[in-house]
Amino acid sequence: MMFKMVLPMLLAVIGLVGIFKTYVTPEMIKSLFDGSVLHDMIVGVGVGAISVGQPFVSYIIGGELLKEGASFYGVTAFILSFVTLGVVQLPMEFGIFGVRFTLLRNFLSLVFAFLVAYATAYSVELAG
Amino acid sequence: MLGSVILTYVILFFMDPENAKHAVFEGLQVLKMVLPIILVVFFLTGLVNITVDKEKISRHFGKESGMKGWFYAIVAGILSHGPTYVWYPFLQNLREHGAKDSLIFAFLYARAIKIPWIPLMISYFGWVFTLFFSLYIIIGALLQGMIVELIERKKEN
Repeated sequence: MMFKMVLPMLLAVIGLVGIFKTYVTPEMIKSLFDGSVLHDMIVGVGVGAISVGQPFVSYIIGGELLKEGASFYGVTAFILSFVTLGVVQLPMEFGIFGVRFTLLRNFLSLVFAFLVAYATAYSVELAG
Repeated sequence: MLGSVILTYVILFFMDPENAKHAVFEGLQVLKMVLPIILVVFFLTGLVNITVDKEKISRHFGKESGMKGWFYAIVAGILSHGPTYVWYPFLQNLREHGAKDSLIFAFLYARAIKIPWIPLMISYFGWVFTLFFSLYIIIGALLQGMIVELIERKKEN
């Protein structure tokens, strides 16, 4: 049923993943963070949203970002949006779930990327 | 969509053959990793189509599903393997069989917790971080689901 429609979409997404992994380097990502909470959170969410890959990639980059002085809040936002937001899979999401569902899900994930990241980083700071 | 991606690759091969080849290689690596999961997902989708009728799905994940529905959605989200996009067809299938959107949202957000990667997260960021991170994701998944429920209810009225 859906197989015929879904398979090309899956291949397309995987193709985009390949392109992304080749052209976006960790160095490029690191250069965007400057250490301030708000700026790094926005950058973190943005970069995480366009990034693809296994979660551990975001941990490694995140660890490096912290060493380079990026804000802890920003790194948390990056790791979270890395797994919850994905620009690369949007066309497929629109195609399968419809416009309304996709827009709502991405909007909520965007908002919660900030909320959850902030809550996590703040809690860790409180816990000392 | 696939057409645009193929076109992009063709252009890349003309402009930057080395990196284009690398991109193909990376894509194939992902395909290799994703293929078994795709098979599992298609199998599950087929299984749901054949064995479970709309009534069962509606009962467990539909309007009257109650607390258990949320529990299943969150746990299933946490346990689900692989990239998110592989699960889209299966989830859409559930929707068409009567599952609530709010539970789908909860499932998708709970997926942010990746059990196999937790040890690595602990080693990079500590267990306090990992604990709070996971906890707030679950709360976030529930809140998002509830927001969706409110929206659905407003639509009906």
